[in-house]
Amino acid sequence: MLVELGHFCLALALSVSILQFVLPIIGIKLKSTRALATSTYSSYLFFCLVSFSFISLMWAYISSDFSVALVAQNSHSLKPLIYKVTGVWGNHEGSLMLWILVLSLYSLALSIIGKNIPLKIKSIVLSVQGLIASAFTGFILFTSNPFLRLLPPKLEGEGFNPILQDIGLAIHPPFLYLGYVGLSITFSFSIAALILKQADSIWIKWVRPWAMLSWTFLTIGIALGSWWAYRELGWGGWWFWDPVENASFMPWLAATALLHSSIVAEKRNTLKAWTILLALIAFSFSLLGTFIVRSGVLVSVHAFASDPSRGIYILLMLILFTGGSLALFAKNAPKLKSGNMFSPISREGAIVINNIIFSAAAATVLLGTLYPIFIDALTANKVSVGPPYFESVFIPLMVPAILLCGFSPMLTWKRAVFDNIYERIIFIFIVSILITSFLIYIRNGSAMTFLGIFLSIWLFLGTIYDFFERILRGKSFNEVAKRIVSYPRSAYGMSFAHIGVSIFILGATMSTAYKTEIETSVQIGDKIIVENKELIFESIKQNQGPNWLADVATFRISHNESDISFLYPERRFYPASQINTSEPAILSRLFYDLYIVLGEKDIKNKNFAVRVYYSPLLNFIWIGIAFMAFGGILSLSDKKHRVSYKTLRKNRNLSIK
Amino acid sequence: MIKLFKYAVILFLCSAPSSLYSQNNTNLESNSLVLQQAKELYEELRCLVCQNQSLLESEAPLALDLKELIKEKLKEGKTKKEVKDFLVERYGEFILLLPTLSLQNLFLWIGPFIFLFIGIIFAYKFYTNFNRSSNKTKTLNPAEKKNVQKILDEKLE
Amino acid sequence: MKKYYYYIPLITFILLILFFSRQLFLNKDPSHLPSVMLDESFPKLEFNQLEKYNLLTIEDIFSYDKPSLVNVWASWCVPCKIEHANLMLLKNKHSIRIYGINYKDNLQEADEILNLDGNPFYSIGVDSSGRIAINLGVYGVPETFILDRNGKIRYRHVGPILEYDIRETILPILTKLEQDD
Repeated sequence: MLVELGHFCLALALSVSILQFVLPIIGIKLKSTRALATSTYSSYLFFCLVSFSFISLMWAYISSDFSVALVAQNSHSLKPLIYKVTGVWGNHEGSLMLWILVLSLYSLALSIIGKNIPLKIKSIVLSVQGLIASAFTGFILFTSNPFLRLLPPKLEGEGFNPILQDIGLAIHPPFLYLGYVGLSITFSFSIAALILKQADSIWIKWVRPWAMLSWTFLTIGIALGSWWAYRELGWGGWWFWDPVENASFMPWLAATALLHSSIVAEKRNTLKAWTILLALIAFSFSLLGTFIVRSGVLVSVHAFASDPSRGIYILLMLILFTGGSLALFAKNAPKLKSGNMFSPISREGAIVINNIIFSAAAATVLLGTLYPIFIDALTANKVSVGPPYFESVFIPLMVPAILLCGFSPMLTWKRAVFDNIYERIIFIFIVSILITSFLIYIRNGSAMTFLGIFLSIWLFLGTIYDFFERILRGKSFNEVAKRIVSYPRSAYGMSFAHIGVSIFILGATMSTAYKTEIETSVQIGDKIIVENKELIFESIKQNQGPNWLADVATFRISHNESDISFLYPERRFYPASQINTSEPAILSRLFYDLYIVLGEKDIKNKNFAVRVYYSPLLNFIWIGIAFMAFGGILSLSDKKHRVSYKTLRKNRNLSIK
Repeated sequence: MIKLFKYAVILFLCSAPSSLYSQNNTNLESNSLVLQQAKELYEELRCLVCQNQSLLESEAPLALDLKELIKEKLKEGKTKKEVKDFLVERYGEFILLLPTLSLQNLFLWIGPFIFLFIGIIFAYKFYTNFNRSSNKTKTLNPAEKKNVQKILDEKLE
Repeated sequence: MKKYYYYIPLITFILLILFFSRQLFLNKDPSHLPSVMLDESFPKLEFNQLEKYNLLTIEDIFSYDKPSLVNVWASWCVPCKIEHANLMLLKNKHSIRIYGINYKDNLQEADEILNLDGNPFYSIGVDSSGRIAINLGVYGVPETFILDRNGKIRYRHVGPILEYDIRETILPILTKLEQDD
């Protein structure tokens, strides 16, 4: 019954979202404030209906209602509760439900926070949100209905892919979608700006927090996905350049560019058409990702089961939103007032270069991901574009961006005098080279390792130097303290994020360059030695999980005589799906990760295949990303973002014309 | 990202003093160069059954066979390129994760440069346009100059 | 700045959409691979024998002057069981010669299956190491090659041959090959 109610609410939600789209348009045509104002209420109502619908689906999962086809296909009564809940979005239909739930949440948030945005702009934004919402709700109802009943009902569910039973994987879609869908708000604001042909500095102030918010969520979401791949796939790698990973990476690159260009747009009231274009492209990349994951045009390990009719529907959405918005851009962007001037050597100039690089990087990832399709269409040949390609083009692209990032915060706005910071740059450069040379001297490393470590130190020192220089301008101790307190949160955010990038680079470089990998086969009692650590294979025992059987090995790891820990890698067998998986065990310390994978058992001589990876500083990858995300949050908490949503109260009445 | 770093690892392994190599690898095979080359090849070849993995990551039976075959060919003294060619002859270029530098893949390889180039052209246009328009507004015509001078003079008096 | 710059994103996007539409409407399975061996002579391979059955030799293939099929199969492969009846049908009803390549199998079980479900194969070659399959560019069992009368590979079918496949692809190709020259 609840399921039918949920289904009904979803159908109602579709009509509400259509109203949310249409009524503001009528309002503008008829100059009716009342019709415009309905958009707020529509967004409230849409949120309530979608939430109810979502909860009813979730209830079907929790109560293991196998009369619902989706639940029967994807759940299992023996699954732990947490995976029943997260299983809701572990499939195509349910993940779309999460998509529109997040969308409704954003529209709701905008309606509430944005009380002071001029009604006309706000209702156009909400109207575009309504269009997106109705397209996706329609998509669910017409091609991917999660509420269909099964006759006769199944007694037991069909479980789901065992490697998907992981907490990192289970919680990463919500973050990812908070990121993807958050970009819809910047998209809708851009559409509003294009329709009204005005993008003033207050407009960009409304947009920026949403870009920052989505970027932060996207960063966390991608990191969680990558963390899952690291812990679960069993190769000690954390990024595989799979089409689905790329699908989340492209919006991130575009959002990163957007984040930077919107700083220029806000501070200096320029680069507005470009910022709008980036906002359109960032959301389009989200849609494109949806298309890639769900249409089956590309091969991927992560892709959902595909169905051509869904592909066509998403293609139509892509044409409507991306095609429509880019056409509107082509028509109206030239009419936007061009902004203030700046010299190529200035903070803005540096951000322009950052934007060029990030856009080129996003375009390159897009090219590599889609190239097999192009070749197939043009020559009927089949080619693959794999990690080796992406690695060899992406890193060289990023090097200049990092070099630039090390000193560009020191540049002044508008027109920087290079002579002023010349000495500092040389100083940081020399210090970084010296430290790197020293490190490479004691550990031995190639040119690439040198470059990676150098870039990391360069960025770190540059960021720290800039920060201290601003703080230490105060003469007395008190003055310095005051400066520390009053230093804007957004500036702290930037420093944190850049330091995060530096930590990330260090982690990525060290963990790859100095990774030790041992493949061997062991019997009980055998010893493996990695980097002065002794691994003793002590015992093996059988274990039974809710839906698997496992061989669990015990490895005793002694770093020295007093420091001993144990690791328990598993080899699991899932009878329901007849799949063997390895469950790696990881000893994660601040300065290194020890990663053990238990492989096939050799029945003849009771040997187990074992792979051991020792990766120094691997945790720095996650710590770096955490810093980046924390920087985003810090920046969001800056007063100025709230101010832009509050100060307009006075003008509110003037705004409806 | 890892590719270039991988080269770094290899370079590192080649350049590091032998004492750095771990001696305890229990089944150290006689020909470590072959193993090294084999591993490089595994990473550059696609597992055809579970398509988005490289051979290295795959435990599929066909992948295991292919790995065995690759090792044998390398032991026979075949070069990496010869092994690759052998596999391409049978499975097509699809098996290569690192696309070849051929006419067909030309755009794939020069694409990143084109994108950067386009970006730079736009930035250049942007700055020159700015300078042109700003020059226009910044220089005053003689009449204006006279006027400004006049106002300034009046003020000074 | 001139206005047409602003159309570049739109034009790029339209190009992308064209490619996507093509891919979608042809409804191609991206994981399906064309054989690179197409229009090449069947490679000169040597097989082991499955006891009690005719040994597949390369002379068999080249001396036969009608189109034929080469089927790669194994007793452990579930889809092969599905296609077995259809192979029998091809042999008995359409009198088509089918050569079998037994892929990495337990020979006893292979024998049992042929005893139980009938033997659709004119002759059988055993590939116990999987090397022969690699030489043929096989990437999954079952796979079926259609050879013309000169022993050239003209078509590759990946996955089990279903009734639909017989009707829509296998038979039409065979008739066409027969009519040729």
